[in-house]
Amino acid sequence: MLKLKVLILLALIFVSYSQAEEFYVKKQLLEKIATKYKVFAKKRFFFLQQTLDEVVDGSDLEKLEAVNEFFNNVRYSSDMKVYGKKDYWATPWEFLGKDRGDCEDYVISKYFALRYLGIKPKKLFFTYVRSTKFKQPHMVLTYFKTPRSEPLILDNNNRKIFPASKRKDLTPIYNFNGEVLQKGKKKKSHKKWDQLMLNMKRKKI
Amino acid sequence: MTLFKQIAIMLSIFLIIILSTVLTLNFQSANQSVQDRLYEDAKNTATSLSLSLGSANGDISMMSTMINANFDSGAYKRITLVDVEDAILYERKNETEVIDVPKWFLNLVSIKAPIASANVSAGWSQVGILNVQSDNSYAYMHLYRILKSLLLSFTIIAIIGLIILNLLLHAVLRPLKEVQKQAAAVIRNEFIIQKKIPHTKEFKDVVLGMNAMVTKVKAMFDKGNEELQQHRELEYLDKTTGLKNRKYLIDRLPEYLKVDSVSKGGISIIVALSGMIEANEKLGRRDVDKLFSEIADIFRHSSRIYKNSIVARMNGTEFTILLPDCPNEDAISLANNIYTSATDLIEEYELNNEETFISIGLYEYSHMDSIAQLLSHSDNALAQAKFNKTHIHLEKAEEAVEVMGKEAWKLIINQAINKNRFNFTSWAVVDAKNKKLVHNVLSINLTLDKHTSYSYAKFMAPAIQSGLSCDIYKNVVHMLLKTPDMILSASTYSLRLPSEYLEMPETYEEISNLLRTSASTLPFKLIIELPDRMVRKDSKYIKLYKELFEQYNIDIGIFEFIGESDDYQYLQDLRPVYIKGESTYFLTQSTQALSALRLITDSIGISLIAVGVMEKQTLEELTQKHITIIQGKATELIEF
Repeated sequence: MLKLKVLILLALIFVSYSQAEEFYVKKQLLEKIATKYKVFAKKRFFFLQQTLDEVVDGSDLEKLEAVNEFFNNVRYSSDMKVYGKKDYWATPWEFLGKDRGDCEDYVISKYFALRYLGIKPKKLFFTYVRSTKFKQPHMVLTYFKTPRSEPLILDNNNRKIFPASKRKDLTPIYNFNGEVLQKGKKKKSHKKWDQLMLNMKRKKI
Repeated sequence: MTLFKQIAIMLSIFLIIILSTVLTLNFQSANQSVQDRLYEDAKNTATSLSLSLGSANGDISMMSTMINANFDSGAYKRITLVDVEDAILYERKNETEVIDVPKWFLNLVSIKAPIASANVSAGWSQVGILNVQSDNSYAYMHLYRILKSLLLSFTIIAIIGLIILNLLLHAVLRPLKEVQKQAAAVIRNEFIIQKKIPHTKEFKDVVLGMNAMVTKVKAMFDKGNEELQQHRELEYLDKTTGLKNRKYLIDRLPEYLKVDSVSKGGISIIVALSGMIEANEKLGRRDVDKLFSEIADIFRHSSRIYKNSIVARMNGTEFTILLPDCPNEDAISLANNIYTSATDLIEEYELNNEETFISIGLYEYSHMDSIAQLLSHSDNALAQAKFNKTHIHLEKAEEAVEVMGKEAWKLIINQAINKNRFNFTSWAVVDAKNKKLVHNVLSINLTLDKHTSYSYAKFMAPAIQSGLSCDIYKNVVHMLLKTPDMILSASTYSLRLPSEYLEMPETYEEISNLLRTSASTLPFKLIIELPDRMVRKDSKYIKLYKELFEQYNIDIGIFEFIGESDDYQYLQDLRPVYIKGESTYFLTQSTQALSALRLITDSIGISLIAVGVMEKQTLEELTQKHITIIQGKATELIEF
């Protein structure tokens, strides 16, 4: 009788644990990605999940490095080549599914992965910068430990994370965070962001 | 409510609901697009201003100046710059709210200008968030203009739509209107055949059905009319002379012998031809018939000048000439002329005037005589004439011992007219078969004081003699319409109006004015009875009265009917609710004549009423002839 009670208790614990566990990409969506982008894409998402799982309990910096490292392995390609459009903000599923994208796509995927890992939105910003090296507009993800601290730069061109002061090759132009701007039940914040959110809601892959 | 109205109301409500819904949706959409526009404007400002603010490197005074420049140049409600901890760094807001729209519109429509936000940074570091809210007064004015133009255009659309709807409904339901007219005509016993057959199948079937029905009923009426005409010729005409016969005289006499007869009396002449057997032997039947015919022409010719005179062949050798209002002297002169002319004629036929001669008995009748009295007195006069040398004898009326003289009556009646001393009394017309009251017939009494009252039969004869009958009727009609409360029961009442009153030039106008003011308040249903003699003449007044009474929902009845007309179309034109005839008239009609009359009356919904039914036996005889609605003393025998 005691054994049975223990078994039931264990079963209940297992069930509740399973329900609490939420994958970055849900199973149903993963199957669709697999169907569309074949088995390698599915594997990429598996590795992403593995990477995220490894740092889920780590510090913010560990999370930043893991995510930055993982996505910087994706090949750079212009929107025109991948999507036939001059400028397109891809969902994380499109980005990793196609395994290529431009600077905004890196920023988006890193942002949502870090959000999955529990980093608060007010610490993360999409930053429009000018790359003095390539002399062209660019976007990076910036991490502010506190609102007034020096941000860390997550860039796809420079694979390592540096404080902003170390990135002399980048001139900041404009910071924004759609989630922060949407505070107070606003339906709109930033046109590109709003479109991206709509695509994510529609599970665009 | 008519079908047209029901459909029109339904479709109008439907149209208005649709238009209102479209109007509301249009307005909501306009409202939404105005709010979107407000947001887009605010967002554009927020983004461009936040980029500019970035160049200030966190210098609050510089940023405030930039915000002021933007705020003052555009239509904004509020621009706020908050730092990363949500503390306000700088704020501008428009305090004055001057919105040039009516207050009700402000209460009705709520426009909340959305707030657009943008991050502000200085280099890599964050400054805060810029919130921009556009001024909504412009949006209110814009929306108000939209609402006005929407209301105007939708009102125009609604009016045009309703007009088109009305025209369409009229076009679609026109056949139904025609059907309705035809149905109403059937109810009024009119025979309208609709020639324009509608295309809509349902209407077409109804019209064809009604046409068939109306055709059949009309055929019934025509057949009855034709039969009755033929019958009238057989029933009332003497074939040899073309004169009326005894039956005709008997049927007509009640009209002359009644208290309220137009004529107070006159001369009844019986002419008898003696020696006709010898004449037959001498001349043969054909020539004797010719002789009769020529003698008849003499009678006809002699009586022509007397209005309402009757010449009838009573039997093989006797003729009656009834001359209302003919003085004795004129009658004697006329008799002499007839005698001379007839004697000359007999001589022309080479007959012996010792053997073949005429005798003329004259009787000075009074309208108070009964038929039997008139005939027996006339016979007496003839018997006397036969023994006279001149073969002419006048029997004068017995001087009636009058309680009151003519002048005394005149005084009383005038007094009654001036002081309005008439009051109504009524008696019942009863359906003996169904044992129920059909209507009440109104009559009048003359009440001088508590103890002195005269019935209609008593005062009407002297009134006619004094020429006051029309004044009495004028008084009575006024009393009936102006003080209908005198008649207590709220049932159906009939009032008989004589032709001499109706044909007075001013009567129509008087009745018309009275009805205009009082008809709607009458507490009972009124039937006006008109004399058959007047209506069958198609007098110009009849059409006027018919239209007048129809207008006020007053039915028409016919009295003193003896089926004398050549054509009964007038019954269809007048459409009375009933025909009243003397019980003797109905009883003396043959079965064929009565069924022909029934065919006519049934096809146009007219009841037959026998009046003067005094005894149970008469009632039974009438019932056998299917005349079951009666008026007279016998109604008291029926319990209902």
